[in-house]
Amino acid sequence: MKHPLLKFEPIIWLLFGQGILVGTLLLTGWVLILGIAAPLGVVDALGFSHAHALGASLVGRLVLAAVIILPMWKGAHHLRHVAIDMGGAGRDAVVAPLLYLTALLGSLAGIIAVIRL
Amino acid sequence: MSRPANPNAMQPERPGRTRTAPPQLPPKFPFSGRYRAYTLFDWTGLIYLLLGFLALRVVWALGSGEPAWNHVIRDFEHPLYIAFHVLSLASLIFAGVRFFRFFPKSQLPRVGPVKPPPQPVILAGLYAAWIGVTVVFSLVLTGVLFQ
Repeated sequence: MKHPLLKFEPIIWLLFGQGILVGTLLLTGWVLILGIAAPLGVVDALGFSHAHALGASLVGRLVLAAVIILPMWKGAHHLRHVAIDMGGAGRDAVVAPLLYLTALLGSLAGIIAVIRL
Repeated sequence: MSRPANPNAMQPERPGRTRTAPPQLPPKFPFSGRYRAYTLFDWTGLIYLLLGFLALRVVWALGSGEPAWNHVIRDFEHPLYIAFHVLSLASLIFAGVRFFRFFPKSQLPRVGPVKPPPQPVILAGLYAAWIGVTVVFSLVLTGVLFQ
């Protein structure tokens, strides 16, 4: 399983890097409003029709896809390194494909979620 | 008659014994000294992964209709969700600050004739982008922009 992973390493690193950069840029506002301010009643959450109109636009779909997909790859790659650092590289042949498969399936589900808006 | 030299001509037939120390974890690993920030940075991966799946849930609900959307918004009012999001915000700020600090240092010194801007300029640009995107995205999500 090591060889195919090495082959995909540049793509994984690209998604990982964008996951930190774009993920951090976008998720800060997302978490601040949807996760903290709106639930605490500090601001009003977007109504369904407004949220749907924004999300279903082309730019909206691209932004939502980035919010879903990129952090998953950042997460998978960093967790792989946690596993290596804590438990050694011996299990990497199992842990790495599992984590990347999780990110891949999540990304595919994200693409479907954005398409069906 | 001369011919090119063989670079491996002097190589011994068998590799010699290399004395290596058994691998050892550094004494301060994983949560002391400089390793603390390194380890925490790696662990933010778990938060990002969960945030990605949570965003998937939100967008999926948005595509499923108004009742599903309202259900997710109501779920987010649960104290556990709020606590997770507060932890997530702290993780995002920690990971962002650490990554943005590394980013200017990791740039190539020059690409052909083009040199990157000075490191403080890159850093300032990253922070300006972070604050700008956060403000704009927050205004969009509260319905102030693009009504």
